[in-house]
Amino acid sequence: MASPYSPPMQALIDELGRMPGIGPKSAQRIAFHLLKVPEEDARRLAQSILNAKAKVRFCEMCFNISDEPQCSVCSDERRDRTMICVVEESRDVVALEKTGVYKGLYHVLLGAINPLEGIGVDQLKIRELMMRINDAEPAIQEVILSTNPNTEGDVTAMYLQRLLAPFEIKVTKLASGLPVGGDLEYADELTLGRAIEGRREVGA
Amino acid sequence: MFVRRVELTNFRNYESANLAFSRGTTAILGKNGQGKTSLAESIAYLSCLRSFRGVPNESLVRIGTDSAVIRADVIHDDGRELLIEAEINLNGRNRVLVNKQTLRRTRDLLGVLRATVFSPDDLAIVKDGPALRRDLIDDALVAIDSRFDAIRTEVDRVIRQRNVLLKQAGGRLTEDVALTLDVWDEKLVAAGTVMGEERASLIARMNTEVPNAYDQLAERHSAVELRYEPEWRSRGLAHALAEARSDDIRRGVSTVGPHRDDIEISINGLTARFHASQGEQRSLVLALRLAIHRMVAEAVGSVPILVLDDVLSELDPDRANALIANLPHGQVIITSASGVPEETKPDAIVRIAAGEVIES
Ligand SMILES: [Zn+2]
Repeated sequence: MASPYSPPMQALIDELGRMPGIGPKSAQRIAFHLLKVPEEDARRLAQSILNAKAKVRFCEMCFNISDEPQCSVCSDERRDRTMICVVEESRDVVALEKTGVYKGLYHVLLGAINPLEGIGVDQLKIRELMMRINDAEPAIQEVILSTNPNTEGDVTAMYLQRLLAPFEIKVTKLASGLPVGGDLEYADELTLGRAIEGRREVGA
Repeated sequence: MFVRRVELTNFRNYESANLAFSRGTTAILGKNGQGKTSLAESIAYLSCLRSFRGVPNESLVRIGTDSAVIRADVIHDDGRELLIEAEINLNGRNRVLVNKQTLRRTRDLLGVLRATVFSPDDLAIVKDGPALRRDLIDDALVAIDSRFDAIRTEVDRVIRQRNVLLKQAGGRLTEDVALTLDVWDEKLVAAGTVMGEERASLIARMNTEVPNAYDQLAERHSAVELRYEPEWRSRGLAHALAEARSDDIRRGVSTVGPHRDDIEISINGLTARFHASQGEQRSLVLALRLAIHRMVAEAVGSVPILVLDDVLSELDPDRANALIANLPHGQVIITSASGVPEETKPDAIVRIAAGEVIES
């Protein structure tokens, strides 16, 4: 079917529709909104996307957001290098760091298994995690699975648990008590801190 | 519990409306297409966060506007007064406030207001395919214990994810697909098994309540039976999924699980869907609703608000009287296009025309 929009408009709608959580209807709405804003506002938005893209990158070790090749956690000599805490997003690193409880390293998957949003295991930094564990010196002793306490986060953790089973590594999960169905970042620091301290080993 | 007042803004055909209800029986009168059912629907929405007419929530928002608001004053049996405010947004998330506090998740509202709705469309529960019968049972389980909603949501979510994964696999079972399917299956087994147990246990209890209700409404004895015997339950869901895997891959869809269950209803040994008369089917639907209404009242210790949406006019006077006579004591809201049904003796009457309250 031919698009009812002019090619530039359709292109904008298509690009917006690729954003997470933006359906076709929202994409149309945002596109029409953008057409109405003053040109300088549109330019500022475009520029801030390009700026962020140019200046912010992912840590080459753990895929946390970083302005250096390695993030502030990975480059911190005092961190315990035998522990990796696996999270979905950089904002989860921020939430866990705020608790001040955890002293090991992180690995950011950049999402969770979510076929409905087109995210399979290949789109996540899972292969990189396995390579990191294989090559780690000193050897990794513990992996803490800290994906979000919802369906997709659970499934991702279960998948990793299966991949890690052949290794001689302690695999743990955060203690229950986190609000189910939500995101890690919404838990308060005290609850999250307790969840790390009370983490439990999961059976293979 | 009872609802004292409902205020609608941009809900369905209502630009704004404010209605007061009696704690006994309120009759809402108006010609068809004037907004009686929308009123019933607004109360139902507060009890289950969706339309009982099976339409997407977007269609509850008045055309040309972005959001609908339902406000209701609800009084619990212990005298506690709650102001519920539910916002249905076309753009962005829906929102629910109770006493001006925003709930973290909208589904935390479940259980705050309970309503049983009888609707003329209910006949489809007996006549149509299995989906409406599953909904009837699952809605009842949520009304009895709102924690069941998490199970239901999880099963629904896992099935949708699993179906996309199966479709993406394009008929080939690679090692990667198998490993990912394994985890989705583990998740489905956990939630689906609980769902099956809960459904089975409710249906076992319904097998004493529904025949009772049926006999009272039909005023003669018939053998009514509900059967819930999905094949996967006898083998265990894990086993059934493993056996169905190559089929699932080939067809690109989840062929086995609680999302395909049926609840077979029979009268005197014959499947009601195919063999019961129209009159028997009507009595059966009323009996199902009435039985669940009583079971919820018993389980939660409080009678849900009863909404009879245009159903009395469809019944012969004997059956209408039998229904009214057998209702547990509680708030009743009746909508009618054909005047006040005599047997109901309403305490208050509201008249509606063209999406406006003209007299209350
Ligand atoms: Zn790093």
